[in-house]
Amino acid sequence: MTLTESPALLVAGIGEMVMSNSPDGHLIAYGLGSCVALSVWDPRTKVGGLAHFMLPNGPANAASPVKFIDSGLDTYLKAVEAKGAFLGRSILKAAGAASMLTIGGGLAIGKRNAESLQAALIERRLTLTAVSLGGTAGRTVQLDVADGRFLIKSLSSVSEL
Amino acid sequence: MTLTLSDAGENIVAGTFARAMKRAGEALGSMSGQVIDVQTPLIKRCSAADVLEMAGGAESVVLAIYLGITGSLQGHALLLFAPPDAHRLAQILLAGLLGPGELPFDPTADELVFDELEASALQEAGNITISAFLNEIGMHLHEPVQPTPPQLIIEMAGAVLDAVLLDLVTEADQVLAAKTTFSEGGRAIDGTMFVLPRPDSLQVLLDALGAFGL
Repeated sequence: MTLTESPALLVAGIGEMVMSNSPDGHLIAYGLGSCVALSVWDPRTKVGGLAHFMLPNGPANAASPVKFIDSGLDTYLKAVEAKGAFLGRSILKAAGAASMLTIGGGLAIGKRNAESLQAALIERRLTLTAVSLGGTAGRTVQLDVADGRFLIKSLSSVSEL
Repeated sequence: MTLTLSDAGENIVAGTFARAMKRAGEALGSMSGQVIDVQTPLIKRCSAADVLEMAGGAESVVLAIYLGITGSLQGHALLLFAPPDAHRLAQILLAGLLGPGELPFDPTADELVFDELEASALQEAGNITISAFLNEIGMHLHEPVQPTPPQLIIEMAGAVLDAVLLDLVTEADQVLAAKTTFSEGGRAIDGTMFVLPRPDSLQVLLDALGAFGL
């Protein structure tokens, strides 16, 4: 019997990223509103990562490495690669970027987050396999590292992306 | 801009916010005709993650009443209730408005569904409560501070708060969060009030309070 390398459930808090190569690893981000989560999963090495981005752009930040999409995306992708994922065959999925409240004349931060993430991935020649972006409902997302299943839970439903 | 408030400045803001939160609780009490116990407000500088923790965790389901704060002080204010508590509060408010009698309340109904009467009573409660807070703050300022119309939302706390937090942490890592709990003992209603000011607008309040250069 061997101990799993990581605890089974790893939580990507706001502005944080988690990754795992454990067969019973589950990566989760709770209560995404306008924030956007990006999951990366390599089906061959069974390595997965989940990042909980907050905003489109800003300077790199040690305390919250993936606070900003522009300065945090490469940090995150390198960390998942270091864990054993090969980006060329990995499956990328994104969820979140909802518009929860009308704030300050309807500043659509969720929409900007979705657009920034999509543009940043295109720049790196990476493709999103599936997305659940926008709308007005909050989402909790979970990646099952063993089989790559990506679940989205809202108040009214649970679905697989 | 970063939050450059000194400790002394923060204490002054905290004292003013604490008084204003007491007023807010009193206003909710007189609107509902109940004795509302207002917990000593907790006011601290913290990260976005800390604010989610203070709200009971990102995944806890809440009924939130949100009002933006505009004018010489800017920021965000929220009242959060667990859905069953929000139903109980709405029933008390409606009984006060409509008088005794049968209320259109079905205890077997989905607790996440609020009918129009309940929603409007709760929005009004948010309006009265936050306005009382702002009136107290406004007494110190030379220009008015006003709330935006209330928005009611039933969601995971993280999803409600992240939009507010994202507005505050674009250029700073920490926010100043003021939180208190309102409790109505008899009906077991607990509510949480959050006020999250924009850091760059706090200087106006400090200046008005005579705390120049803090």
